Amino acid sequence: MDNALAFVKGRMWTELYILFRIQVAIVREQWMWIFVMATIFPLTTLLSMKFMYGVTSEQIMVNVIVGNIVFAIIMMGFNALGTEISWQKHAGYFTFYSSLPISKAVFVVTQLARGLMTTLPSVIIMAFIGQFAYGIHLHYEWGLIPVFLLAVLSMVGVGAGIGFWSPDHQMTNMLVQGLMMFVGFLSPVMMEASQLPPVLRYIGYIFPTTYSASALRELLTKGWTEAVTIDVIILIAFLIFSFAVISRMISWRAAE
Amino acid sequence: MELIEIDQVNKVYKKGKKQANIDISFSIREGEILGLLGPNGAGKSTLIKQIVGLLAPTSGEVRYKGTNVLKQAKKVASEFGYYAQEPHALGALTAKEALLFTGILRGLAKKEAEKQTMGLLERFSMADLAGRPLKKLSGGQKRMIGIGTTIIGDSRVLVLDEPTNELDPLNRRLVWDIIVEQNRKGATIILVTHNVLEAERVVDRVAFINHARLLEIDSVPHLKQRVDGRLKLELTAVEGEAGYLMRRFEEWGDIQQTGENRLRLLIDKNRASSLLDWMVHTSDLPIDEYAMLPPNLEDVYLYIDGQKEKFAEERAANAIEDAEKVGSYVG
Repeated sequence: MDNALAFVKGRMWTELYILFRIQVAIVREQWMWIFVMATIFPLTTLLSMKFMYGVTSEQIMVNVIVGNIVFAIIMMGFNALGTEISWQKHAGYFTFYSSLPISKAVFVVTQLARGLMTTLPSVIIMAFIGQFAYGIHLHYEWGLIPVFLLAVLSMVGVGAGIGFWSPDHQMTNMLVQGLMMFVGFLSPVMMEASQLPPVLRYIGYIFPTTYSASALRELLTKGWTEAVTIDVIILIAFLIFSFAVISRMISWRAAE
Repeated sequence: MELIEIDQVNKVYKKGKKQANIDISFSIREGEILGLLGPNGAGKSTLIKQIVGLLAPTSGEVRYKGTNVLKQAKKVASEFGYYAQEPHALGALTAKEALLFTGILRGLAKKEAEKQTMGLLERFSMADLAGRPLKKLSGGQKRMIGIGTTIIGDSRVLVLDEPTNELDPLNRRLVWDIIVEQNRKGATIILVTHNVLEAERVVDRVAFINHARLLEIDSVPHLKQRVDGRLKLELTAVEGEAGYLMRRFEEWGDIQQTGENRLRLLIDKNRASSLLDWMVHTSDLPIDEYAMLPPNLEDVYLYIDGQKEKFAEERAANAIEDAEKVGSYVG
Protein backbone atom coordinates (compact mmCIF):
# COMPACT_ATOMS: atom_id res chain seq x y z
CA MET A 1 0.00 0.00 0.00
CA ASP A 2 2.83 2.34 0.97
CA ASN A 3 4.64 1.47 -2.25
CA ALA A 4 1.54 2.18 -4.33
CA LEU A 5 1.08 5.52 -2.57
CA ALA A 6 4.70 6.49 -3.09
CA PHE A 7 4.35 5.55 -6.78
CA VAL A 8 1.26 7.75 -7.20
CA LYS A 9 3.04 10.63 -5.44
CA GLY A 10 6.26 10.57 -7.40
CA ARG A 11 7.28 8.11 -10.08
CA MET A 12 3.83 7.81 -11.70
CA TRP A 13 3.82 11.43 -12.86
CA THR A 14 7.30 11.12 -14.35
CA GLU A 15 6.29 7.98 -16.26
CA LEU A 16 3.02 9.57 -17.34
CA TYR A 17 4.79 12.71 -18.55
CA ILE A 18 7.55 10.90 -20.46
CA LEU A 19 5.26 8.29 -22.03
CA PHE A 20 2.83 11.05 -22.96
CA ARG A 21 5.66 12.96 -24.62
CA ILE A 22 6.51 9.84 -26.62
CA GLN A 23 2.89 9.70 -27.80
CA VAL A 24 3.00 13.40 -28.67
CA ALA A 25 6.11 12.70 -30.76
CA ILE A 26 4.28 9.94 -32.65
CA VAL A 27 1.32 12.25 -33.31
CA ARG A 28 3.69 15.11 -34.24
CA GLU A 29 5.26 12.88 -36.86
CA GLN A 30 1.93 11.78 -38.37
CA TRP A 31 -0.17 14.90 -37.91
CA MET A 32 -0.80 15.54 -41.62
CA TRP A 33 -1.98 11.98 -42.21
CA ILE A 34 -4.08 12.10 -39.05
CA PHE A 35 -5.70 15.36 -40.16
CA VAL A 36 -6.58 13.96 -43.59
CA MET A 37 -7.83 10.63 -42.19
CA ALA A 38 -9.80 12.35 -39.45
CA THR A 39 -11.53 14.75 -41.79
CA ILE A 40 -12.00 13.32 -45.22
CA PHE A 41 -14.16 10.26 -44.54
CA PRO A 42 -16.67 11.78 -42.11
CA LEU A 43 -16.74 14.97 -44.17
CA THR A 44 -17.53 12.97 -47.31
CA THR A 45 -20.46 11.19 -45.65
CA LEU A 46 -21.63 14.46 -44.10
CA LEU A 47 -21.72 16.28 -47.43
CA SER A 48 -23.05 13.34 -49.45
CA MET A 49 -26.00 13.11 -47.04
CA LYS A 50 -26.67 16.81 -47.52
CA PHE A 51 -26.63 16.38 -51.32
CA MET A 52 -28.83 13.28 -51.15
CA TYR A 53 -31.46 14.47 -48.73
CA GLY A 54 -31.05 18.26 -48.63
CA VAL A 55 -31.95 20.07 -45.46
CA THR A 56 -35.13 18.50 -44.11
CA SER A 57 -36.06 18.74 -40.44
CA GLU A 58 -33.64 20.18 -37.89
CA GLN A 59 -33.78 16.92 -35.89
CA ILE A 60 -32.64 14.85 -38.90
CA MET A 61 -29.84 17.32 -39.54
CA VAL A 62 -28.69 17.04 -35.93
CA ASN A 63 -28.75 13.25 -36.31
CA VAL A 64 -26.58 13.51 -39.43
CA ILE A 65 -24.09 15.91 -37.80
CA VAL A 66 -23.86 13.91 -34.56
CA GLY A 67 -23.63 10.70 -36.59
CA ASN A 68 -20.66 12.07 -38.48
CA ILE A 69 -18.99 13.32 -35.29
CA VAL A 70 -19.31 9.81 -33.87
CA PHE A 71 -18.21 8.38 -37.22
CA ALA A 72 -15.03 10.46 -36.95
CA ILE A 73 -14.49 8.94 -33.49
CA ILE A 74 -14.98 5.45 -34.94
CA MET A 75 -12.60 6.25 -37.80
CA MET A 76 -9.73 7.54 -35.66
CA GLY A 77 -10.24 6.19 -32.17
CA PHE A 78 -11.31 2.73 -33.21
CA ASN A 79 -10.15 1.96 -36.74
CA ALA A 80 -6.84 3.86 -36.95
CA LEU A 81 -5.73 3.30 -33.34
CA GLY A 82 -6.73 -0.39 -33.34
CA THR A 83 -4.86 -1.03 -36.58
CA GLU A 84 -1.77 0.82 -35.42
CA ILE A 85 -1.58 -0.86 -32.01
CA SER A 86 -2.01 -4.23 -33.71
CA TRP A 87 0.84 -3.39 -36.10
CA GLN A 88 3.08 -2.30 -33.22
CA LYS A 89 2.26 -5.46 -31.31
CA HIS A 90 3.19 -7.75 -34.20
CA ALA A 91 6.32 -5.74 -34.96
CA GLY A 92 7.46 -6.39 -31.37
CA TYR A 93 7.42 -2.73 -30.26
CA PHE A 94 5.93 -3.50 -26.86
CA THR A 95 8.96 -5.62 -25.95
CA PHE A 96 10.88 -2.37 -25.54
CA TYR A 97 8.33 -0.77 -23.22
CA SER A 98 7.72 -3.91 -21.18
CA SER A 99 11.46 -4.30 -20.55
CA LEU A 100 11.53 -0.87 -18.88
CA PRO A 101 10.62 -0.32 -15.21
CA ILE A 102 7.32 1.36 -16.04
CA SER A 103 3.76 0.70 -14.97
CA LYS A 104 1.50 -1.11 -17.43
CA ALA A 105 -1.49 0.98 -16.33
CA VAL A 106 0.37 4.22 -17.08
CA PHE A 107 1.39 2.86 -20.48
CA VAL A 108 -2.22 2.00 -21.32
CA VAL A 109 -3.42 5.45 -20.20
CA THR A 110 -0.93 7.13 -22.53
CA GLN A 111 -2.05 4.93 -25.44
CA LEU A 112 -5.62 6.11 -24.77
CA ALA A 113 -4.31 9.67 -24.59
CA ARG A 114 -2.86 9.29 -28.07
CA GLY A 115 -6.24 8.08 -29.28
CA LEU A 116 -7.76 11.18 -27.72
CA MET A 117 -5.19 13.47 -29.36
CA THR A 118 -5.78 12.06 -32.82
CA THR A 119 -9.55 11.92 -32.56
CA LEU A 120 -10.53 15.14 -30.84
CA PRO A 121 -9.61 17.48 -33.74
CA SER A 122 -11.89 15.59 -36.11
CA VAL A 123 -14.73 15.76 -33.59
CA ILE A 124 -14.37 19.54 -33.37
CA ILE A 125 -14.03 19.91 -37.15
CA MET A 126 -17.17 17.85 -37.74
CA ALA A 127 -19.17 19.81 -35.17
CA PHE A 128 -18.32 23.17 -36.76
CA ILE A 129 -18.45 22.13 -40.42
CA GLY A 130 -21.69 20.23 -39.83
CA GLN A 131 -23.37 23.26 -38.36
CA PHE A 132 -22.13 25.45 -41.19
CA ALA A 133 -23.04 22.96 -43.96
CA TYR A 134 -26.61 22.53 -42.78
CA GLY A 135 -27.10 26.06 -41.58
CA ILE A 136 -28.59 25.09 -38.23
CA HIS A 137 -27.87 26.34 -34.78
CA LEU A 138 -26.50 23.82 -32.28
CA HIS A 139 -26.72 24.23 -28.55
CA TYR A 140 -23.18 24.45 -27.14
CA GLU A 141 -22.49 24.18 -23.44
CA TRP A 142 -19.66 23.16 -21.05
CA GLY A 143 -21.22 19.76 -20.57
CA LEU A 144 -20.13 18.93 -24.12
CA ILE A 145 -16.49 18.72 -23.03
CA PRO A 146 -16.80 15.70 -20.71
CA VAL A 147 -19.23 14.06 -23.11
CA PHE A 148 -16.84 14.54 -26.04
CA LEU A 149 -13.97 13.15 -23.93
CA LEU A 150 -16.00 10.15 -22.79
CA ALA A 151 -17.32 9.52 -26.30
CA VAL A 152 -13.76 9.47 -27.66
CA LEU A 153 -12.12 7.56 -24.80
CA SER A 154 -14.78 4.83 -24.63
CA MET A 155 -14.33 4.10 -28.37
CA VAL A 156 -10.56 4.48 -28.16
CA GLY A 157 -10.67 1.84 -25.42
CA VAL A 158 -12.44 -0.60 -27.76
CA GLY A 159 -9.95 0.17 -30.59
CA ALA A 160 -6.94 -0.24 -28.32
CA GLY A 161 -8.44 -3.44 -26.88
CA ILE A 162 -8.79 -4.96 -30.37
CA GLY A 163 -5.24 -3.84 -31.24
CA PHE A 164 -3.72 -5.41 -28.11
CA TRP A 165 -5.78 -8.60 -28.52
CA SER A 166 -5.03 -8.96 -32.26
CA PRO A 167 -3.99 -12.54 -33.11
CA ASP A 168 -2.63 -11.33 -36.47
CA HIS A 169 -2.54 -8.04 -38.30
CA GLN A 170 -4.66 -9.00 -41.33
CA MET A 171 -7.46 -10.29 -39.13
CA THR A 172 -7.42 -7.10 -37.07
CA ASN A 173 -7.64 -5.04 -40.25
CA MET A 174 -10.69 -6.95 -41.49
CA LEU A 175 -12.33 -6.86 -38.08
CA VAL A 176 -12.00 -3.11 -37.56
CA GLN A 177 -13.08 -2.31 -41.13
CA GLY A 178 -16.16 -4.54 -40.82
CA LEU A 179 -17.06 -3.24 -37.38
CA MET A 180 -16.54 0.35 -38.49
CA MET A 181 -19.12 0.01 -41.28
CA PHE A 182 -21.54 -1.93 -39.09
CA VAL A 183 -21.35 0.44 -36.13
CA GLY A 184 -21.38 3.50 -38.37
CA PHE A 185 -24.39 2.61 -40.50
CA LEU A 186 -26.34 -0.20 -38.81
CA SER A 187 -26.40 0.99 -35.21
CA PRO A 188 -28.01 4.09 -33.69
CA VAL A 189 -25.27 6.49 -34.80
CA MET A 190 -26.52 8.22 -37.96
CA MET A 191 -30.13 7.68 -36.94
CA GLU A 192 -32.11 7.18 -33.77
CA ALA A 193 -32.59 3.71 -32.33
CA SER A 194 -36.33 3.78 -33.10
CA GLN A 195 -35.58 3.91 -36.86
CA LEU A 196 -33.73 0.57 -36.79
CA PRO A 197 -35.21 -2.96 -36.88
CA PRO A 198 -35.43 -4.48 -33.34
CA VAL A 199 -32.47 -6.88 -33.87
CA LEU A 200 -30.09 -4.07 -34.84
CA ARG A 201 -31.48 -1.91 -32.05
CA TYR A 202 -30.62 -4.58 -29.46
CA ILE A 203 -27.17 -5.19 -30.98
CA GLY A 204 -26.60 -1.44 -30.81
CA TYR A 205 -26.78 -1.54 -27.02
CA ILE A 206 -23.37 -3.24 -26.82
CA PHE A 207 -21.54 -0.39 -28.60
CA PRO A 208 -20.46 2.75 -26.70
CA THR A 209 -21.17 4.77 -29.85
CA THR A 210 -24.91 4.30 -29.27
CA TYR A 211 -24.67 6.17 -25.96
CA SER A 212 -22.20 8.76 -27.30
CA ALA A 213 -24.54 9.61 -30.20
CA SER A 214 -27.57 9.70 -27.92
CA ALA A 215 -25.85 11.99 -25.37
CA LEU A 216 -24.51 14.33 -28.06
CA ARG A 217 -27.88 14.57 -29.83
CA GLU A 218 -29.59 15.44 -26.58
CA LEU A 219 -26.91 17.93 -25.54
CA LEU A 220 -26.72 19.71 -28.90
CA THR A 221 -30.48 20.16 -29.07
CA LYS A 222 -31.81 20.33 -25.51
CA GLY A 223 -28.84 20.62 -23.14
CA TRP A 224 -27.93 18.39 -20.16
CA THR A 225 -30.97 16.22 -19.33
CA GLU A 226 -31.46 13.09 -17.24
CA ALA A 227 -30.99 10.99 -20.38
CA VAL A 228 -27.53 12.55 -20.87
CA THR A 229 -26.59 11.65 -17.28
CA ILE A 230 -27.59 8.01 -17.88
CA ASP A 231 -25.59 7.91 -21.15
CA VAL A 232 -22.57 9.44 -19.38
CA ILE A 233 -22.72 6.81 -16.61
CA ILE A 234 -22.85 4.03 -19.21
CA LEU A 235 -19.91 5.59 -21.09
CA ILE A 236 -17.86 5.76 -17.88
CA ALA A 237 -18.65 2.06 -17.31
CA PHE A 238 -17.50 1.30 -20.88
CA LEU A 239 -14.28 3.22 -20.26
CA ILE A 240 -13.50 1.38 -17.00
CA PHE A 241 -14.37 -1.95 -18.61
CA SER A 242 -12.20 -1.37 -21.67
CA PHE A 243 -9.28 -0.17 -19.50
CA ALA A 244 -9.51 -3.37 -17.43
CA VAL A 245 -9.73 -5.55 -20.55
CA ILE A 246 -6.76 -3.81 -22.23
CA SER A 247 -4.68 -4.15 -19.08
CA ARG A 248 -5.26 -7.89 -19.19
CA MET A 249 -4.71 -8.26 -22.95
CA ILE A 250 -1.52 -6.31 -23.40
CA SER A 251 1.50 -8.55 -23.70
CA TRP A 252 3.63 -7.19 -20.87
CA ARG A 253 6.08 -8.77 -18.45
CA ALA A 254 5.26 -12.45 -17.95
CA ALA A 255 4.37 -12.01 -14.30
CA GLU A 256 1.90 -9.14 -14.79
CA MET B 1 28.82 -15.38 -6.67
CA GLU B 2 25.92 -16.68 -8.76
CA LEU B 3 23.75 -13.75 -9.81
CA ILE B 4 21.30 -15.47 -12.14
CA GLU B 5 20.35 -19.15 -11.99
CA ILE B 6 18.56 -20.88 -14.83
CA ASP B 7 17.05 -23.99 -13.32
CA GLN B 8 15.69 -26.75 -15.60
CA VAL B 9 13.98 -24.30 -17.91
CA ASN B 10 11.66 -25.73 -20.54
CA LYS B 11 9.72 -23.58 -22.96
CA VAL B 12 7.08 -25.01 -25.27
CA TYR B 13 5.36 -22.90 -27.95
CA LYS B 14 2.26 -23.43 -30.08
CA LYS B 15 0.39 -25.68 -27.70
CA GLY B 16 3.17 -28.22 -27.38
CA LYS B 17 4.17 -28.28 -31.05
CA LYS B 18 7.51 -26.50 -30.72
CA GLN B 19 10.04 -26.94 -27.92
CA ALA B 20 12.19 -23.84 -27.81
CA ASN B 21 14.17 -24.72 -24.67
CA ILE B 22 14.65 -28.18 -23.19
CA ASP B 23 15.93 -28.69 -19.63
CA ILE B 24 18.35 -25.80 -19.62
CA SER B 25 20.28 -25.26 -16.37
CA PHE B 26 23.27 -23.04 -15.71
CA SER B 27 24.29 -20.02 -13.64
CA ILE B 28 25.60 -16.58 -14.51
CA ARG B 29 28.18 -15.14 -12.13
CA GLU B 30 28.16 -11.55 -10.92
CA GLY B 31 30.48 -9.36 -13.00
CA GLU B 32 31.11 -11.81 -15.83
CA ILE B 33 30.49 -11.54 -19.56
CA LEU B 34 28.69 -14.65 -20.68
CA GLY B 35 28.40 -15.38 -24.39
CA LEU B 36 25.32 -17.29 -25.52
CA LEU B 37 26.23 -18.85 -28.83
CA GLY B 38 24.31 -20.98 -31.27
CA PRO B 39 22.75 -20.99 -34.74
CA ASN B 40 19.47 -19.28 -35.73
CA GLY B 41 16.45 -20.90 -34.14
CA ALA B 42 18.56 -22.62 -31.45
CA GLY B 43 16.44 -21.13 -28.65
CA LYS B 44 18.77 -18.35 -27.48
CA SER B 45 16.33 -15.43 -27.77
CA THR B 46 13.57 -17.43 -26.06
CA LEU B 47 15.94 -18.18 -23.20
CA ILE B 48 16.95 -14.56 -22.67
CA LYS B 49 13.32 -13.40 -22.79
CA GLN B 50 12.77 -15.74 -19.85
CA ILE B 51 15.89 -14.41 -18.11
CA VAL B 52 14.56 -10.83 -18.32
CA GLY B 53 11.08 -11.94 -17.25
CA LEU B 54 9.26 -11.18 -20.50
CA LEU B 55 8.35 -14.83 -21.02
CA ALA B 56 7.38 -17.38 -18.40
CA PRO B 57 9.02 -20.82 -18.67
CA THR B 58 6.64 -23.72 -19.29
CA SER B 59 8.47 -25.43 -16.42
CA GLY B 60 11.54 -24.65 -14.35
CA GLU B 61 12.50 -21.16 -13.19
CA VAL B 62 14.96 -18.33 -13.59
CA ARG B 63 16.22 -16.77 -10.35
CA TYR B 64 17.86 -13.38 -9.92
CA LYS B 65 19.71 -13.02 -6.60
CA GLY B 66 17.97 -16.18 -5.42
CA THR B 67 14.37 -15.12 -6.19
CA ASN B 68 12.27 -16.13 -9.20
CA VAL B 69 12.37 -13.28 -11.75
CA LEU B 70 8.61 -13.54 -12.21
CA LYS B 71 8.12 -12.65 -8.54
CA GLN B 72 10.17 -9.47 -8.82
CA ALA B 73 9.27 -8.24 -12.31
CA LYS B 74 9.64 -4.52 -11.53
CA LYS B 75 13.01 -5.00 -9.81
CA VAL B 76 14.32 -7.04 -12.75
CA ALA B 77 13.07 -4.38 -15.19
CA SER B 78 14.85 -1.66 -13.21
CA GLU B 79 18.15 -3.54 -12.84
CA PHE B 80 18.33 -5.13 -16.31
CA GLY B 81 18.97 -3.37 -19.61
CA TYR B 82 17.63 -5.48 -22.46
CA TYR B 83 18.56 -4.95 -26.10
CA ALA B 84 16.07 -6.93 -28.19
CA GLN B 85 16.27 -7.86 -31.84
CA GLU B 86 12.85 -6.34 -32.49
CA PRO B 87 12.74 -3.00 -34.35
CA HIS B 88 13.02 0.17 -32.34
CA ALA B 89 9.76 1.33 -30.80
CA LEU B 90 10.86 4.95 -30.60
CA GLY B 91 11.12 5.59 -34.35
CA ALA B 92 9.12 8.83 -34.16
CA LEU B 93 11.49 10.35 -31.58
CA THR B 94 14.72 12.17 -32.28
CA ALA B 95 17.98 10.45 -31.34
CA LYS B 96 18.34 12.72 -28.30
CA GLU B 97 14.74 12.24 -27.15
CA ALA B 98 15.02 8.45 -27.47
CA LEU B 99 18.07 8.34 -25.19
CA LEU B 100 16.90 11.01 -22.78
CA PHE B 101 13.37 9.63 -22.32
CA THR B 102 14.63 6.08 -21.87
CA GLY B 103 17.17 7.30 -19.30
CA ILE B 104 14.44 9.04 -17.31
CA LEU B 105 12.16 6.00 -17.55
CA ARG B 106 15.04 3.92 -16.20
CA GLY B 107 15.03 6.14 -13.12
CA LEU B 108 17.74 8.72 -13.87
CA ALA B 109 17.23 12.31 -12.77
CA LYS B 110 16.71 14.63 -15.76
CA LYS B 111 20.14 16.27 -15.42
CA GLU B 112 21.97 12.96 -15.23
CA ALA B 113 19.91 11.57 -18.13
CA GLU B 114 20.84 14.62 -20.22
CA LYS B 115 24.52 14.23 -19.32
CA GLN B 116 24.55 10.56 -20.25
CA THR B 117 22.56 11.25 -23.44
CA MET B 118 25.06 13.83 -24.68
CA GLY B 119 27.94 11.54 -23.68
CA LEU B 120 26.52 8.67 -25.70
CA LEU B 121 25.77 10.83 -28.74
CA GLU B 122 29.38 12.07 -28.67
CA ARG B 123 30.65 8.53 -28.24
CA PHE B 124 28.63 7.35 -31.25
CA SER B 125 29.83 10.40 -33.28
CA MET B 126 26.17 11.35 -33.64
CA ALA B 127 26.04 14.67 -31.73
CA ASP B 128 25.14 16.48 -34.98
CA LEU B 129 22.25 14.05 -35.51
CA ALA B 130 20.76 14.59 -32.03
CA GLY B 131 17.66 16.33 -33.41
CA ARG B 132 17.01 13.92 -36.27
CA PRO B 133 14.11 11.42 -35.95
CA LEU B 134 15.29 7.83 -35.65
CA LYS B 135 13.24 6.94 -38.74
CA LYS B 136 15.51 9.16 -40.79
CA LEU B 137 18.75 7.60 -39.54
CA SER B 138 20.57 4.73 -41.25
CA GLY B 139 20.05 1.16 -40.02
CA GLY B 140 23.43 1.17 -38.24
CA GLN B 141 22.79 4.54 -36.58
CA LYS B 142 19.40 3.33 -35.36
CA ARG B 143 21.09 0.24 -33.91
CA MET B 144 23.62 2.41 -32.08
CA ILE B 145 20.83 4.48 -30.52
CA GLY B 146 19.12 1.21 -29.59
CA ILE B 147 22.29 0.11 -27.81
CA GLY B 148 22.43 3.56 -26.17
CA THR B 149 18.87 3.14 -24.83
CA THR B 150 19.98 -0.19 -23.32
CA ILE B 151 23.08 1.04 -21.55
CA ILE B 152 21.80 4.44 -20.41
CA GLY B 153 21.09 4.33 -16.69
CA ASP B 154 24.01 1.98 -15.88
CA SER B 155 21.95 -1.17 -15.40
CA ARG B 156 23.46 -3.89 -13.19
CA VAL B 157 22.77 -6.55 -15.83
CA LEU B 158 22.91 -6.02 -19.58
CA VAL B 159 21.25 -8.55 -21.85
CA LEU B 160 22.25 -7.92 -25.43
CA ASP B 161 20.64 -9.91 -28.24
CA GLU B 162 22.82 -9.70 -31.37
CA PRO B 163 24.02 -6.13 -30.67
CA THR B 164 26.49 -6.01 -33.57
CA ASN B 165 24.12 -7.16 -36.32
CA GLU B 166 24.04 -4.80 -39.33
CA LEU B 167 26.89 -2.66 -37.95
CA ASP B 168 29.94 -1.62 -39.93
CA PRO B 169 33.35 -2.77 -38.62
CA LEU B 170 34.06 0.55 -36.84
CA ASN B 171 30.77 0.56 -34.97
CA ARG B 172 31.11 -3.16 -34.21
CA ARG B 173 34.44 -2.47 -32.56
CA LEU B 174 32.89 0.46 -30.67
CA VAL B 175 30.10 -1.79 -29.36
CA TRP B 176 32.60 -4.43 -28.17
CA ASP B 177 34.58 -1.66 -26.42
CA ILE B 178 31.41 -0.35 -24.76
CA ILE B 179 30.51 -3.87 -23.59
CA VAL B 180 33.93 -4.26 -21.96
CA GLU B 181 33.67 -0.78 -20.37
CA GLN B 182 30.23 -1.48 -18.93
CA ASN B 183 31.58 -4.74 -17.53
CA ARG B 184 34.51 -2.93 -15.90
CA LYS B 185 32.01 -0.55 -14.30
CA GLY B 186 30.42 -3.61 -12.66
CA ALA B 187 27.72 -4.75 -15.06
CA THR B 188 27.12 -8.44 -15.59
CA ILE B 189 26.62 -9.03 -19.30
CA ILE B 190 24.76 -11.71 -21.21
CA LEU B 191 25.65 -11.50 -24.85
CA VAL B 192 23.84 -13.36 -27.61
CA THR B 193 25.74 -13.34 -30.86
CA HIS B 194 26.53 -15.18 -34.06
CA ASN B 195 29.81 -13.40 -34.26
CA VAL B 196 31.80 -16.04 -32.45
CA LEU B 197 35.21 -14.75 -33.47
CA GLU B 198 34.60 -11.20 -32.26
CA ALA B 199 32.86 -12.37 -29.09
CA GLU B 200 35.87 -14.51 -28.23
CA ARG B 201 37.83 -11.38 -27.39
CA VAL B 202 35.40 -10.17 -24.73
CA VAL B 203 33.55 -13.11 -23.15
CA ASP B 204 34.65 -14.83 -19.94
CA ARG B 205 32.51 -17.91 -20.40
CA VAL B 206 30.48 -19.33 -23.25
CA ALA B 207 27.24 -21.28 -23.29
CA PHE B 208 26.62 -23.16 -26.54
CA ILE B 209 22.97 -23.75 -27.38
CA ASN B 210 21.56 -25.77 -30.26
CA HIS B 211 18.34 -27.69 -30.93
CA ALA B 212 16.83 -26.03 -27.82
CA ARG B 213 19.42 -27.62 -25.49
CA LEU B 214 22.48 -26.38 -23.68
CA LEU B 215 25.39 -28.22 -25.27
CA GLU B 216 28.20 -26.90 -23.12
CA ILE B 217 29.14 -24.05 -20.80
CA ASP B 218 32.68 -23.23 -19.75
CA SER B 219 35.42 -20.61 -19.87
CA VAL B 220 36.98 -19.91 -23.27
CA PRO B 221 40.42 -21.39 -22.35
CA HIS B 222 38.79 -24.57 -20.96
CA LEU B 223 36.67 -24.96 -24.06
CA LYS B 224 39.65 -24.50 -26.29
CA GLN B 225 41.47 -27.27 -24.44
CA ARG B 226 38.81 -29.65 -25.82
CA VAL B 227 40.21 -29.15 -29.29
CA ASP B 228 43.65 -28.10 -28.19
CA GLY B 229 45.14 -31.38 -29.28
CA ARG B 230 44.17 -30.47 -32.81
CA LEU B 231 45.14 -27.97 -35.44
CA LYS B 232 43.06 -26.44 -38.15
CA LEU B 233 43.95 -26.62 -41.83
CA GLU B 234 42.06 -24.09 -43.96
CA LEU B 235 42.03 -25.13 -47.63
CA THR B 236 40.88 -23.32 -50.77
CA ALA B 237 40.15 -25.84 -53.52
CA VAL B 238 40.52 -25.20 -57.25
CA GLU B 239 37.11 -24.20 -58.69
CA GLY B 240 34.76 -27.20 -58.72
CA GLU B 241 37.17 -29.57 -56.96
CA ALA B 242 36.00 -29.17 -53.35
CA GLY B 243 34.17 -32.53 -53.33
CA TYR B 244 37.18 -34.41 -54.69
CA LEU B 245 39.53 -32.69 -52.24
CA MET B 246 37.23 -33.52 -49.35
CA ARG B 247 37.42 -37.24 -50.18
CA ARG B 248 41.21 -37.07 -50.42
CA PHE B 249 41.53 -35.50 -46.93
CA GLU B 250 38.87 -37.59 -45.17
CA GLU B 251 41.40 -40.06 -43.75
CA TRP B 252 43.37 -37.27 -42.00
CA GLY B 253 40.68 -35.98 -39.63
CA ASP B 254 37.27 -34.21 -39.43
CA ILE B 255 36.77 -32.29 -42.65
CA GLN B 256 33.97 -29.84 -43.35
CA GLN B 257 33.02 -27.67 -46.33
CA THR B 258 32.85 -24.06 -45.07
CA GLY B 259 32.28 -22.32 -48.43
CA GLU B 260 31.87 -23.10 -52.12
CA ASN B 261 35.57 -23.89 -52.52
CA ARG B 262 36.62 -23.75 -48.89
CA LEU B 263 37.30 -26.69 -46.60
CA ARG B 264 38.38 -26.96 -43.00
CA LEU B 265 40.22 -29.96 -41.61
CA LEU B 266 40.69 -30.53 -37.88
CA ILE B 267 43.71 -32.77 -37.40
CA ASP B 268 45.57 -34.19 -34.40
CA LYS B 269 48.70 -32.14 -33.65
CA ASN B 270 50.99 -35.15 -33.87
CA ARG B 271 49.82 -35.97 -37.39
CA ALA B 272 50.22 -32.42 -38.72
CA SER B 273 53.79 -32.82 -39.95
CA SER B 274 52.94 -36.09 -41.74
CA LEU B 275 50.01 -34.35 -43.39
CA LEU B 276 52.16 -31.45 -44.60
CA ASP B 277 54.75 -33.90 -45.85
CA TRP B 278 52.06 -35.85 -47.74
CA MET B 279 50.68 -32.62 -49.25
CA VAL B 280 54.13 -31.56 -50.47
CA HIS B 281 54.79 -34.92 -52.10
CA THR B 282 51.34 -35.37 -53.63
CA SER B 283 51.30 -33.45 -56.87
CA ASP B 284 47.68 -34.00 -57.98
CA LEU B 285 45.94 -32.15 -55.11
CA PRO B 286 43.73 -29.40 -56.59
CA ILE B 287 44.59 -26.76 -53.93
CA ASP B 288 44.81 -23.01 -54.58
CA GLU B 289 46.06 -22.14 -51.09
CA TYR B 290 46.17 -23.45 -47.54
CA ALA B 291 47.00 -22.32 -43.99
CA MET B 292 47.55 -24.21 -40.72
CA LEU B 293 46.04 -22.37 -37.69
CA PRO B 294 45.39 -22.95 -33.99
CA PRO B 295 41.69 -23.50 -33.14
CA ASN B 296 39.39 -20.63 -32.17
CA LEU B 297 36.02 -20.48 -30.43
CA GLU B 298 34.18 -21.14 -33.68
CA ASP B 299 36.08 -24.42 -34.07
CA VAL B 300 35.20 -25.32 -30.50
CA TYR B 301 31.53 -24.67 -31.25
CA LEU B 302 31.61 -26.71 -34.48
CA TYR B 303 33.46 -29.49 -32.67
CA ILE B 304 31.02 -29.63 -29.74
CA ASP B 305 27.99 -29.38 -32.01
CA GLY B 306 29.45 -32.09 -34.26
CA GLN B 307 30.15 -34.39 -31.28
CA LYS B 308 26.59 -34.00 -29.99
CA GLU B 309 25.16 -34.65 -33.48
CA LYS B 310 27.37 -37.71 -33.81
CA PHE B 311 26.18 -38.89 -30.38
CA ALA B 312 22.54 -38.35 -31.35
CA GLU B 313 23.06 -40.20 -34.65
CA GLU B 314 24.79 -43.09 -32.86
CA ARG B 315 21.99 -43.23 -30.32
CA ALA B 316 19.38 -43.29 -33.12
CA ALA B 317 21.34 -45.97 -35.00
CA ASN B 318 21.62 -48.08 -31.83
CA ALA B 319 17.92 -47.71 -31.22
CA ILE B 320 17.17 -48.93 -34.76
CA GLU B 321 19.61 -51.82 -34.33
CA ASP B 322 17.97 -52.77 -31.02
CA ALA B 323 14.53 -52.54 -32.57
CA GLU B 324 15.66 -54.78 -35.45
CA LYS B 325 17.10 -57.30 -32.96
CA VAL B 326 13.82 -57.31 -31.06
CA GLY B 327 12.01 -57.71 -34.40
CA SER B 328 14.19 -60.70 -35.37
CA TYR B 329 13.65 -62.38 -31.99
CA VAL B 330 9.90 -61.82 -32.29
CA GLY B 331 9.90 -63.01 -35.92
